[in-house]
Amino acid sequence: MQDAMNLYRPLKATVERVIIESPLIKSLVLIPEHEFSFKTGEFIEVTINGFGEAPFTPSSSPLEKKRLEVTVMKAGYITDKIHMLERGDVVGIRGPFGRGYPLELFYGKEVLILGGGCGFAPIRSLLLNLIAEKERFKKVILCYGAKTPEDCIYKPFVEELRKVDKFEVYRSVDKADETWNEKEGVVTVLLDDIRIHIPDSVAIVCGPPVMMKYGTYKLLEMGYPETEIYLSMEKNMSCGLGKCGHCMMGKYYVCKDGPVFTYDEIKDQPDIWE
Amino acid sequence: MDEIVQVSITDWHLFLEIISVDFDVYVPEKINQHIDYKIYNSNGQFIKYNRALPVTPLKFFFLPVKENVVINSLIHNKKLIIGVPACDLKGLELLDEIYQDEKFPDPKYKENRLNTILIGTDCHETRENCHCTTYGVEPYPVINADAILVHLDGNLLITVKTPKGEELIRQCGLKVPVGKPLPEMLELAEARRSATRAMLKQQNQYLPDYASTGDLIRDSGHEIWEKHAQTCVSCGACATICPTCTCFLLIDRPDFDKVRQLDACQYPGFEKIAAGGDPLNKKPVRFKNRYMCKYVWKPERFSATACTGCGRCIDSCIGNINKNKIFIEMMQSLKNS
Repeated sequence: MQDAMNLYRPLKATVERVIIESPLIKSLVLIPEHEFSFKTGEFIEVTINGFGEAPFTPSSSPLEKKRLEVTVMKAGYITDKIHMLERGDVVGIRGPFGRGYPLELFYGKEVLILGGGCGFAPIRSLLLNLIAEKERFKKVILCYGAKTPEDCIYKPFVEELRKVDKFEVYRSVDKADETWNEKEGVVTVLLDDIRIHIPDSVAIVCGPPVMMKYGTYKLLEMGYPETEIYLSMEKNMSCGLGKCGHCMMGKYYVCKDGPVFTYDEIKDQPDIWE
Repeated sequence: MDEIVQVSITDWHLFLEIISVDFDVYVPEKINQHIDYKIYNSNGQFIKYNRALPVTPLKFFFLPVKENVVINSLIHNKKLIIGVPACDLKGLELLDEIYQDEKFPDPKYKENRLNTILIGTDCHETRENCHCTTYGVEPYPVINADAILVHLDGNLLITVKTPKGEELIRQCGLKVPVGKPLPEMLELAEARRSATRAMLKQQNQYLPDYASTGDLIRDSGHEIWEKHAQTCVSCGACATICPTCTCFLLIDRPDFDKVRQLDACQYPGFEKIAAGGDPLNKKPVRFKNRYMCKYVWKPERFSATACTGCGRCIDSCIGNINKNKIFIEMMQSLKNS
């Protein structure tokens, strides 16, 4: 945990390893100076000393307290700096913040996970948690999409996941090449292939806004109730404390009330897909 | 509580001088046709009681424009702030809900609140854009004052509201003569309250109330925001000067320091995310966003009101945008449709 007396003071964490996941995405394995706990789906702020900070949902297992991983797409000022980090560099972390996945509500159900691009990061953490408790779930289906085969992240993890009992993995890319022997098309095409008992199921969506939008609409078409679709929202979460206002989505502070919401909770709020 | 005492203004100022040793005493002074808080300087000649409205919103004492939020300050100056209008005291309700919430109480804000005594004041005049009563806020302090002060004919009536206020008046009584109020002074104070209330009612007779304004904004079309946003220069003055706007930017400094600086949803890029999404990228959308926040979203979420009718946003707008005129226009459009 960070300094309980001062919510703005980051805990120092050392970069143990940098993993290149794709041309634009890297994962950092961080060792915090103290043990650090989070629940899957909660997020942290990663501080680059003197430059700024940005929110990331850890991609590692919440059961691991000594290390955590964040997966970062190069997309702006802070993420550029993060991509320049090397083993031994020190960053700051604050958190964990927000409301993660309510795993206890998924117990006894079939869990459908729809992920896109770097949105695989929170999902990887969730999957690691689901694997650890797999006897509690009927089955878990992962549908993951990326732009091209080289944009697909966590390749070794996906291969391991395919071997886990009760877990099914389906992948698609928008533009395939000769190395690709899975599906071609946007990620929602994968939903046509899966076998799932919707009344006995929950769906989880995480990815770029456009994928979240059409993924959600497809799930609604399939018959998922609005209360059973869980979305991990990406907004400008800055303070993490429900105070600075940058992540407001209507009446919600995404950093405190989310980032995980059911579609039912946020469907009437403005600009949810922007 | 609610004991009322009477002190002569000369004795009160003597007490302020004595207590300035222990407190930073802020008093309302007249400066270039405006009222603002100044540190008491042993000379009460510029102090103006019962005047609306200090230029500085009360929030600046608890949420300074810029503040290091990581370094724990070793010096905790106690503050005594005198002459706070009811609208600003009411505004603290929302700040307290946000900054002293159960889950993440803000240490700096809490410390600033604890170390401050607030002496509210009745307003005996109204400014052109004052509209507190339209939003259910009386022109005299009802909440968040440790004591309430009224200046009448060379004397001050001070009503004690909290233990902090009680202790201050006890200290005052040890240093200077403090008496019971004359009945006619109490009657006069009440009459002045009624007179201010009547003035405000008269000058805002066409303005919709807080809840109705929320409905009007929620149901409004895009055109009215396009029209009135034309002279908005996205300077954020309305948000900075607002006693209930609380958004901020965290700025990183070396050694993992962080500085909190007041921010405004009117600035381009306020909600922009790294991947490029920016829900408030267009000026009319940002312009409407502030009113949606104040009149629709905050009321859905908090018990406190997010506009207390001080009118500073209208006073401060370089683009001459008068939100009250917009709301009256909306109401008239609705009637005509």
